[in-house]
Amino acid sequence: MDYLYHILVIALIYVIFASSLNLELGYAGLYNFGHVAFFAIGAYTSALLSLAGFSPAASMAIAVLCSAASGALLAVPALRLSGDYFGIATLAFGELARLFALNERWLTKGPMGLPGIPRPLGIEAGISGIPVYFFFTVTITAAVLLILRKTTMSPFGRALKVVREDEFVARAFGKNVFSLKVRAVAMGSLFAGLAGALYAHFVTYISPYDFSLNETILVLLCVVLGGKGTLSGPVLGAFVIILFQELLRFLPIPTDWGRFVSPIQGMIYGAVLVILMLKRPEGIIPEHRT
Amino acid sequence: MSGYYLQLMTNGIIAGAVYALFAVGLTLVYGVFRFINFAHGELIAWGAYLTLAFSALIPFGAAIFPAVALTVLIALTQERYVYAPLRKKTGITLLIASIGLSYFLRNGLRLLWGSDLQSFGFEAARGLVFFGITVSRTQIAMFLAAVIFLGFVWGLLRFTMLGKGLRAAADSLELAEIVGIDMKKIRRAVWIISAVFAASGGILIAIDTNLEPMMGIANLLKAFAAVLLGGAGNVWGALLGGLFIGIAENLGVAFFSPGYKDAISFALIIAILLFKPTGIFAIMKGMR
Repeated sequence: MDYLYHILVIALIYVIFASSLNLELGYAGLYNFGHVAFFAIGAYTSALLSLAGFSPAASMAIAVLCSAASGALLAVPALRLSGDYFGIATLAFGELARLFALNERWLTKGPMGLPGIPRPLGIEAGISGIPVYFFFTVTITAAVLLILRKTTMSPFGRALKVVREDEFVARAFGKNVFSLKVRAVAMGSLFAGLAGALYAHFVTYISPYDFSLNETILVLLCVVLGGKGTLSGPVLGAFVIILFQELLRFLPIPTDWGRFVSPIQGMIYGAVLVILMLKRPEGIIPEHRT
Repeated sequence: MSGYYLQLMTNGIIAGAVYALFAVGLTLVYGVFRFINFAHGELIAWGAYLTLAFSALIPFGAAIFPAVALTVLIALTQERYVYAPLRKKTGITLLIASIGLSYFLRNGLRLLWGSDLQSFGFEAARGLVFFGITVSRTQIAMFLAAVIFLGFVWGLLRFTMLGKGLRAAADSLELAEIVGIDMKKIRRAVWIISAVFAASGGILIAIDTNLEPMMGIANLLKAFAAVLLGGAGNVWGALLGGLFIGIAENLGVAFFSPGYKDAISFALIIAILLFKPTGIFAIMKGMR
């Protein structure tokens, strides 16, 4: 039962992470391939602050603001680039962030990682705290989805879609395209940081290997599979991917075959991404266009 | 002391020559098809791993040929079943498809050969010393192979009809098609060149260091940096870009912690894109 809660918490964290990427990729049409960096910034900031003695809840709040600020800082110069170049620049940023965490041992303890991260609101460490943490995560996820719903249905959200479809039209309507995009990235980074902080305090141990290119591809798959540009798409995508990943563990696979499971899983993810692009680029839940 | 820097410089030029091989292939694909092929790195890794597989059966020198041929086959297969059907889509769709392909191929490597470090099992030979600079035989082979391959591309683009067609296609795919250049031939040539270069470079790097599933992606990011330095689609720019990355990385070791060796190319990618997106070494306007 605790294990089920564990899976659900991870799935919910990915719901937030995927939804935050969706705000950039689905709504604003910004292909951010370094989104994992903000997940990592949220996780590391919150972990380091709480290990330094701050209360975990306060650490999470500060971490979220730090991610948002670094998102805006990256966005201001990087948004001068368009389309795939923006993707490559953010990809490089994501790898730089990982190398920073790996090499700056004085701060992040490098490859050894940070153990013993306390849970917020007095939730117990270890297995006994998992159910409570689950309800904590449910509340936060619900709040995030509500905020995203409000945002995407607001004039700001609609303006983002216009920017995605045609920047010139957006400009002709008197919209400040640059500011819209920066705000989208800042908000996306904010929620990615929140997902990262939730992750760090849940698993209580983080290392640079948690924030690699694989996570970027996984979250990209969640968004593209579920349906980009919709609120429910990334939610569905995250649940499908995480449940699939966890259920694989229950298949009766002989132990000496165990080493084949992770590569096969990776091959399936890759193939799904290719097939989606070929057959159904809009994902499971297509965006409603009027 | 200056000998130390000269040694680093030499290592840099040799590493850079191989990066140039990757970058030229990548930039050719971008020049003709107008998308960033993320799966290019996997051609590098598959070339090396296939050589490892064949060298268990036949002598190493002979194993290279079927390995390179199979890598070319992989490239042509992905063109046939993934990239060609997506031709009319945006660059982003192709980029995501190629990310998926690269993930598929990389995990295929892990499935077949496992995730551990492997090597071709050559004994480390003593290096040769020229003017106080030590160079290993492998390094000489790397440099020579790069020079021969790049010379071949130069001759191809410069003196043959196929090369003219390639240049025309890079200039404008539509116009080239209108004037009756055989696009099928051009597309095939681009993939063959890019796969042969990737596989051979991958084999050379694997001889020099070792094989691991992430070797493709690591070298791909360097090739990206080289391509951007040279201006996307510019063959000679990519060549100079590759050399520059190799030298910058190796000289960087003298100033930064070696853990940041890879970070140099990432930082360069961001800096170039921000300050000079058209590339620094964008000489001779593309492939002319």
